[in-house]
Amino acid sequence: MISLAGRDIMHAWGKFVFTGVGLGLLIGVTLSMAGIYRGMVDDGKALLDNSGADLWVVQQNTLGPYAEPSSIYDDAWRGIRAMPGVAQTANVTYLTMQVRQGERDVRSMVTGVTAGEPGTPGWPPYLVAGRQITRSHYEAVADIATGFKLGDRLQIRRNHYTVVGLTRRMVSSGGDPMVFIPLKDAQEAQFLKDNDAILQQRRRTTANPNFNRPQVPGLLEAIIASQSTNAYVNAVLVQVEAGHDAEEVAQSIRRWKRLTVYTRSQMEEILVGKLIATAAKQIFMFLVILSVVSSAIVAFIIYTLTLGKIREIAVLKLIGTKNRTIVALIMQQSIALGVIGFVVGKITATLLMEPIFPKYVLLEPLDSVIGFGAVVVICILSSIIAIRAALKVDPAVAIGG
Amino acid sequence: MIGKGIHIEGLKKRYGSGETAVDALKNVDMQVAPGEVVGLIGPSGSGKSTLLKALGAVIEPTGGRMTLGGKVIYDNGWKVKDLRALRRDKIGFMFQAPYLIPFLDVTDNVALLPMLAGIPNAEARKRAVDLFKALDVEPRAKAMPSQLSGGEQQRVAIARGLINRPPVILADEPTAPLDSERALAVIRILNDMARQYQTAIIIVTHDEKILPTFKRIYHIRDGVTYEEAGEGREF
Amino acid sequence: MKSFPIQKRTLAILVVLLPLLALFIYVALRSGPLAPVPVTVTRVENRSIAPALFGIGTVEARYSYKIGPTFAGRVKQLAVQVGDQVKAGQVLGKMDPVDLDQRIRAQEAALKRAEAQISEARARHLYAQTQARRYAELLAVRSTSEEILAGKNNELQVAEAGLNAVLEEAVRIHAEREALIAQRKNLSLIAPVDGLVVLRNAEPGTTLVAGQAVVELIDPQSLWVNVRFDQIHARGLSARLTAQIVLRTQAAELSGRVLRVEPLADAVTEEMLAKVTFDKIPEPLPAIGELAEVTVVLPTLAAAPVIPNAAIQRIDGQLGVWQITDGDLSFTPITLGDADLEGQVQVRKGLEIGDLVVVYSAKGLTPHNEIDVVDQIPGVPR
Repeated sequence: MISLAGRDIMHAWGKFVFTGVGLGLLIGVTLSMAGIYRGMVDDGKALLDNSGADLWVVQQNTLGPYAEPSSIYDDAWRGIRAMPGVAQTANVTYLTMQVRQGERDVRSMVTGVTAGEPGTPGWPPYLVAGRQITRSHYEAVADIATGFKLGDRLQIRRNHYTVVGLTRRMVSSGGDPMVFIPLKDAQEAQFLKDNDAILQQRRRTTANPNFNRPQVPGLLEAIIASQSTNAYVNAVLVQVEAGHDAEEVAQSIRRWKRLTVYTRSQMEEILVGKLIATAAKQIFMFLVILSVVSSAIVAFIIYTLTLGKIREIAVLKLIGTKNRTIVALIMQQSIALGVIGFVVGKITATLLMEPIFPKYVLLEPLDSVIGFGAVVVICILSSIIAIRAALKVDPAVAIGG
Repeated sequence: MIGKGIHIEGLKKRYGSGETAVDALKNVDMQVAPGEVVGLIGPSGSGKSTLLKALGAVIEPTGGRMTLGGKVIYDNGWKVKDLRALRRDKIGFMFQAPYLIPFLDVTDNVALLPMLAGIPNAEARKRAVDLFKALDVEPRAKAMPSQLSGGEQQRVAIARGLINRPPVILADEPTAPLDSERALAVIRILNDMARQYQTAIIIVTHDEKILPTFKRIYHIRDGVTYEEAGEGREF
Repeated sequence: MKSFPIQKRTLAILVVLLPLLALFIYVALRSGPLAPVPVTVTRVENRSIAPALFGIGTVEARYSYKIGPTFAGRVKQLAVQVGDQVKAGQVLGKMDPVDLDQRIRAQEAALKRAEAQISEARARHLYAQTQARRYAELLAVRSTSEEILAGKNNELQVAEAGLNAVLEEAVRIHAEREALIAQRKNLSLIAPVDGLVVLRNAEPGTTLVAGQAVVELIDPQSLWVNVRFDQIHARGLSARLTAQIVLRTQAAELSGRVLRVEPLADAVTEEMLAKVTFDKIPEPLPAIGELAEVTVVLPTLAAAPVIPNAAIQRIDGQLGVWQITDGDLSFTPITLGDADLEGQVQVRKGLEIGDLVVVYSAKGLTPHNEIDVVDQIPGVPR
């Protein structure tokens, strides 16, 4: 027996491939949607992975530092470092802001990393160019998604920074690329708004007679100096010593330091479960809608193809073709269309869509496999209408009336 | 006596029921012997189409008796379960247009029938090619239907009708689109084939060109058949 | 001729479908998580590095003079403006004397009165002396009683005390007058050294409390940079090391020297403080408070295995590098030594010279990753 579906496809392969490419673009969009969702989740996880921390110590009763603002004293780490089971601590600040470079500015998450050597929590775990920060001021490592190049001069608030290293996939949970700068600069950036604000504040302080007392020379200067320091950080990143349970260490910090502590899994829950939950649902709805649209289109295409073959089907029936063979003809065509569509879709999603999306698109192989399964199932289901129409064809049609 | 070929006695077909019932076939009697070619003519609305469909086992008659190739297939009810297999194995069809499957090449268009019956592909194709030799279309065996002329297509259609050696071939206006020379050629082939394969052939037609070729003609009017002798002119 | 259409179709199918399929296979294998990770590699080099320390400081004057009145008063005149160079002893301004002259005159009058009192007391004293002597002689010839002589002696003592009192009073008044005159002189605000006026706090007519500065002077020759080094990056910081100073306003790099490392570190900011002097005071003079970036160069170290710091990663709490041996990727824990500011780090333990290590990777590595050694990570802007 020959494959009728195969023959039909080969006969009209141009039309078939064209239709498949059209469908493929749609499937590509669907795959990209799934990729965007995966990308969002991965952004959140990348943020946690890149921080290199086991525990996040944040302001009491906040969901900081990513989901909520949090600030704790920058010397809180000393007490935490002394807790049993703590291998390493590092202060860190996060501030999402516009980073200027020449004429343009890029939305990025400015991360203040504590001084130390590579491998300190909070530091970029790997680079794609340049080097890690070695000076404790005015150097920056930027994600390549910012578009900055090595040697670029960035302006963050009042200071200029030289890009000395580039990273990849260092993003905030919102997908903004990260810019790493030394902690002290970052504290300043977080606190010192801009020159105008500083000037205004100085003027206000000077105008206050309580602070500006001629009998007490030097008081005003002291107050202004105390106003322009920031002894806060957003979180303390903690690495747990090998052999200690992260949750246990977290418990003791919670208990004795009266700070809120999150473990990796809790942080993931916050980022994935709370921060991007609605966005993820939104994407998921899109996925569902696109799947429905895809299946409707497949159904429509297959139905049209089948209607175009009504007379052939009638003849086939008349000459004794089994229903099974006719069902197979239609279903195989539908699946073939789906396979071509999937192949084209996968290619477009990977080569065309992924690079043009501003946010990270993560195409998981498993998703592709599931996607393939879904495409086949959708194609089978979509062919049902066409199959019903084909089975209803009366062989008598072939006998002219 | 029930021989091979077609035997139809008192075949009836009623559409609908009660007040609105229409009797398309009231009383049809036909006998066609193997190797014989008969014509079936009648005005439109006479029940000609209905008779053809009943003969082709695509609609169910409401009464009477029908024997194909020595086997009773209808006797106030189908006597055969698998009508598709019946059509495949016992009846060859030819239509006004060739109705070839456009996505199969000429050989496979014909070989499809034995393939459907479970004959291996190579064997089926061999049979088809053998038949093409007889029908003089062998050089076009690998062509697609759309590349053939009308006459070639019709000959391929004949091959398809014959390939399974059916005892009966039903031809519905096979010569309508053809000029008289080609039409006569088709009739000649059908006659040759009928003789060669001992097939009973019924040609439904109102083509004046070929009417004189029949030895026997059935007229159908208002669902009733009348037999008359034809000229049986040689061509 | 007749078989041509089939061939053409087959050809067309091949032309379209095969590349599509090839592309698909390429896409499935070469992108996404299954794809090999592009990495760049380098060999561990044997070279010497010159570690350096980097700190931020502000330009300060080592000596600054706040010149103001020693008592409350009103500014009468101020002769200098901010930016003026002044010489030692130059009068910078004057305070209003208000009633000082009158008070001096009153003291002078009081002095005269005291002198009169002194002559009077002297006369009394002389008379008492004479009387006492006379009565002593009379007693010797027994022509008076001892009681009277005792009375006269007592009178002499009283007169003596009275004389002493007025003498001291005169000294006091004199001293007070001197003090007022000294104050009178102090109304001039005088430059103690050669210097630069950096601040003019009050205008003539302003009333000041004692000790409030009217003018601030600095000694431009004493400019230095107060530098803060992060404690973690201050290993090896000591006096007399050479330093490069980059001022915010001046592109040129200035040379300097660490004068001293402060014995007191900043406990709050976790920084070490050091004073760095300029080898040559820059012209024009940098502004006091201007930001300066200071790089202190430490002595060059002996050659040792060196890797770029971008290669260093921390996996499971261990510092190390991804090493490639015979094409296999493995994580090698290392112990780090000194580092320079260009990102070169000495390796004390864990790597040999010539070992191949991963420097950059397009994503985080695991031992199971396939790697693809490239010259440059794709996507990195040049």
